[in-house]
Amino acid sequence: MQTVSDPRPPVLAAEAEEGRIVVRGLTRRFGRKVALEPIDLDIGPRGITGLLGPNGSGKSTLLRCLLGIVRPDAGSASIDGVALAGDGVKVRQRCAYSPGEIALYGELTGHAHLEWCLRGRGRTAEARALEIARELGLPLDRRVRAYSHGMKRQLLVAAALAPDVRVRILDEATEGLDPSKRGAVLELLSADAARGTTILLSSHHLGEVDRVCDRLIFLNEGKKLADETAASVAARAQRSVRFTFSEDADIERIATELGRIEQVRLVVEGERIDVHLDRDDARPFIAAVCTSKTIPRPRTIEFGALSLAQMYRELYGVDGC
Amino acid sequence: MGRELKVALYRALGYGLVLEAMLVAAILYWPKFKPVMGLLKAMVPSWMIRGLFDAQDAAGIAAYVNLQHFFKGCNTLGVAVSILFAMGAVAGEAQRGTLEIWLARPLSRRRILTERYLLGALAVVLPVFATSATIPWLLTRVDESMPHWPLVLSSAHQAIFLLAIYSATFLYSCAGHKPMQIAFVMLGITSFQLAIYLVQDVTHWSLFRLVDVRVFGAIQARGCLDAPIALSLLAFCAVCFVASQWVFARRTP
Repeated sequence: MQTVSDPRPPVLAAEAEEGRIVVRGLTRRFGRKVALEPIDLDIGPRGITGLLGPNGSGKSTLLRCLLGIVRPDAGSASIDGVALAGDGVKVRQRCAYSPGEIALYGELTGHAHLEWCLRGRGRTAEARALEIARELGLPLDRRVRAYSHGMKRQLLVAAALAPDVRVRILDEATEGLDPSKRGAVLELLSADAARGTTILLSSHHLGEVDRVCDRLIFLNEGKKLADETAASVAARAQRSVRFTFSEDADIERIATELGRIEQVRLVVEGERIDVHLDRDDARPFIAAVCTSKTIPRPRTIEFGALSLAQMYRELYGVDGC
Repeated sequence: MGRELKVALYRALGYGLVLEAMLVAAILYWPKFKPVMGLLKAMVPSWMIRGLFDAQDAAGIAAYVNLQHFFKGCNTLGVAVSILFAMGAVAGEAQRGTLEIWLARPLSRRRILTERYLLGALAVVLPVFATSATIPWLLTRVDESMPHWPLVLSSAHQAIFLLAIYSATFLYSCAGHKPMQIAFVMLGITSFQLAIYLVQDVTHWSLFRLVDVRVFGAIQARGCLDAPIALSLLAFCAVCFVASQWVFARRTP
């Protein structure tokens, strides 16, 4: 009997791995605490994938395991066709990384820091990093200890966006940035993704994830809770409606009335009722609510835009930011 | 590499200047010390310390240089510096949170650690050789002389001893998170070792027996290194280095 595990020629198989992040059963414990349950992922090629989850959900551990900064206890991973092995140096040569924690060498200038971070990446990457840093308005001749938190973050992002690689892994890349700088960084990421780079972006900020990511992976307590595309999130948004009523309205009674219109799932909070429908189009339900004689007129109706925050809330039971 | 090399050279320069200042002061004091040496020896109650004076009686300026430069200068300042240079090698990065960014670069951990070890070792041993090289010239200021080669051998022996202290501290730093704690522990151990060297009943337990005036005297008399001691210390350094690599390969930021 002949067994053929992969019928494609080896070259084509390698090409298929280009720009992809593949994870199989990756596990990590810290003492008795399970930081990462066995997890499987297939990311890329191309596009920006958001990694979401509350603090301690395993996001940073997963990213560090992918790069060999933390040794996984079990499982395998590959980035851009290179398997994670040993201390992960080959993987780190194929991707760029921006750590979540900001700890830099304060005695170095911004310029020297970029050179230090990009050691082993070549002169082209250094030149590109300087270019990005100047675009972001960083004072490269000043010592890093004089930088603000946001400037340090931008320096790390500039270092991560400079190397000519197919995969970038960014942990909290916009944390601590003001809205204009955050917008600038997100534009850089979008432009990079448009050139064919695969970006894995860990974040707490639902707004930015909603804006740039075409896929979302939710983690909690080291487990993958959900893996959704932007399209599926948009579809979910079409099924969710948030009504806000006046302060004196009888919310309990209104909730009962809403349930009579159609079989729905309701979440009541204060004067707000979130309705989750089973069908894809919520507009007939909204029309029924607005024309009902037993339900007072809602103060506001939000539809099709709250999905990610609601999803975060559904998955973790807490509000996202 | 450029930044780390610059730091290592600055450290070596600072440490070397202090060591040289101690050496200059000691040699310039020789003309005043020489006539009263017999008197001082008679006043010393311990046979341990009297032995040091006996060595100087027998070998003259060479024993004095061994005592002042190697035993006093290198074994006090040198040991402290070896510990201070190694304590933050990895633990310092962990403490200030830069370990992650250090490891995130596309360089192997083996290479990162080897570079750091070698640059630190260079800063520890280079001043020993550099300051010893100035001894023949300094001795001419006090109408004494000493050949160069015995000083090179003594420097090599001293450097190997300091390298052993540095390697042990380096290993501790690879496993630890708090550089100050590492420094306190290592300085405590070495201070204790130096203290028991001067206590005649337990002096044979002291590590400083490996680098005292008698050992340097014997090396200079034979014209070659003390192979058993030197090889043992080098083997210890190698074990510490391999263990450091093993620990560092498993280290989590």
